[in-house]
Amino acid sequence: MCLYNLGKNKKCKIEKIPSNHLLKSLGVREGLTVSIMSKQPLGGPVIIQMGKRSLAIAKDVAEKIHIEEVS
Amino acid sequence: MGCHAADGAEVQIQDDELKILLIGNPNVGKSVIFSKLTGMDVMTANYTGTTVTYTMGNVQFIRRKGVVIDVPGTYSLEATSPAEKVAVDFLNNATPDDVIICVLDATNLERNLNLALQVKEYGLPTIFALNLIDVAETQGIIIDVEKLEEELGAPVIPTVAIRNIGLRELLFKSWEIVEKHDKKPIEKLNEKERWDEVRRITNIVQITEDREATFLEKLGDMTLKPWPGLPIAAFVLLISLGVVVGLGKGLRALVFLPIVNNIVVPFMTKIVSLFVTEGILFNVLVGEYGVLVKGIEWPFALILPYVFLFYIVLSFLEDSGYLPRLGVLVDGVLSKLGIHGGNIVPLIMGYGCAIPAILGTKASTSYKERIMVSVLVSVAVPCAAQTGAFISLLGDHSILLLVSVYILSFIALAASGIILNKIVDGTPEPMLLEIPNLLMPDIQSLLKKIWFRTKGFMVEAEVPMLLGVGFAALVAETGILNSISHIVEPLVTNWLGLPKEATLGLLLGIIRRELAVLPLLEMNLSTLQLFVGAVVALFYIPCLSVVGVLIKEFGLKFAITISAITVFIAFLFGGIFNHIGNFLLLL
Repeated sequence: MCLYNLGKNKKCKIEKIPSNHLLKSLGVREGLTVSIMSKQPLGGPVIIQMGKRSLAIAKDVAEKIHIEEVS
Repeated sequence: MGCHAADGAEVQIQDDELKILLIGNPNVGKSVIFSKLTGMDVMTANYTGTTVTYTMGNVQFIRRKGVVIDVPGTYSLEATSPAEKVAVDFLNNATPDDVIICVLDATNLERNLNLALQVKEYGLPTIFALNLIDVAETQGIIIDVEKLEEELGAPVIPTVAIRNIGLRELLFKSWEIVEKHDKKPIEKLNEKERWDEVRRITNIVQITEDREATFLEKLGDMTLKPWPGLPIAAFVLLISLGVVVGLGKGLRALVFLPIVNNIVVPFMTKIVSLFVTEGILFNVLVGEYGVLVKGIEWPFALILPYVFLFYIVLSFLEDSGYLPRLGVLVDGVLSKLGIHGGNIVPLIMGYGCAIPAILGTKASTSYKERIMVSVLVSVAVPCAAQTGAFISLLGDHSILLLVSVYILSFIALAASGIILNKIVDGTPEPMLLEIPNLLMPDIQSLLKKIWFRTKGFMVEAEVPMLLGVGFAALVAETGILNSISHIVEPLVTNWLGLPKEATLGLLLGIIRRELAVLPLLEMNLSTLQLFVGAVVALFYIPCLSVVGVLIKEFGLKFAITISAITVFIAFLFGGIFNHIGNFLLLL
């Protein structure tokens, strides 16, 4: 499953991320547990929470992030 | 762009001065530290044609002198983005006689340590400023500074930059560490190893307590959800626009214009008349379009109030951390035009004045976006002064007419965005944005920031404007103005269907946007003529001052191209609407 398709307030573990320099610099990496805070309308970005941080990830990028849902 | 970045890294400093580089992630408070350390005695250096700028300023500490350089914020040091390239160039050019102050955001230790470890690999004298320590504490994040010092092998100083806490110690340590720095080789880590190391250090030094979210944290989360984020956004934008447009008009009419027109201009005229007798030179200097009249009135009386208020609003929004949140909300719509959400602010500010909007694009991440937003604002966004003129021309006649002109401007905005996206080189960056903490801006640093920026505008925009005004004055005084009227007459009457006096508006419209509209008021135009006149004025050259700023920011060729395109579009659509209108009237 990809990050973009995960429902609101759901938690997931990141399995695979696309090669994106900025994504890595921001600390998004495999094995990390994140949750979906909100999804913006009209193909806007998805906001994820990593610990206390919030990160906006464009739809295109979020669709390439493979995740596994955790409860 | 590359060579500029390289030039930037070789700033000239005196032998007895200590070079201090402020390095860190974006949004960690580097610039606050910078402005606090350098005080008012600051020199700014901005490159043209690039978003990558650094700022340097002088600092004095116990009779020793130093130069602090505020390097653009960067998430890593891999030189893949222009900002990172500048940071890397500065680090590569630094010697063991220089000091690196690596600023860390205590609320976000993990991500900041990733950069900290990369900075450490340069083996330069480095100290770490653990900034925003107060915000971290209210969020329940507790960091063991001693352990962090041990892990990083360098001094770590907790700071609250906006309240001057820890800054003296930062300077004290800066001079201390240069004297006792021993260069030992530092092991280079690959990306995975580095993150593992970051995690290990974070686990040792940081304890996170669960505390109830503060009001600002809750508000911050609310602004990121479509509901109630979108109503909040609308509210914030209305207030911002109201401050810039409304207060701007007030300031201009009540303070700046009276000062310039009643004090400065008469003074200039008096001085000039002592040395120059009446004639062309006298008129070029202090005539109706005199360099010393309009060259002072336009930038200081007409533009400065808007710029000043724009910077107040922008600085407040920047310091509060709201701008990225707004960008996130509108990203879905704006990305369809090829620019990501962050550009909503310069676009909206363009409705106040294109000048702060174009200058505001300096905050954009890519050059493509800067160009796109600047062109959009120049072509399709009417400024506040022009809006005022439109209201008097069309509003009294028919509200429908007024609204249709604005609908046309929105259509033009969207169409230009789509076209520009295709023709401007470069790929649009997908939005990938860390949302900063929502903070209450500190008044003192806010004021300082507004002052720096306003001063910067006064210095930087004045010269191109004087040249532009001088050119206009020369054209007016030598009678070329009259000749042009005769040449463009067929275009105005036959193609646009406007009376030949409308030529005046077109000529004055080059100088000011609202002047393209106002002469039409006196001409008893039909509804169709009013609409055609408004359409021409809407797309027409974005005023001389804006062309001046376009020259300054993007170069002469670019400014001329944009001006030519706007004139072409103005006449093309004005004429098309005239002919369609006439055709419809015949039916």
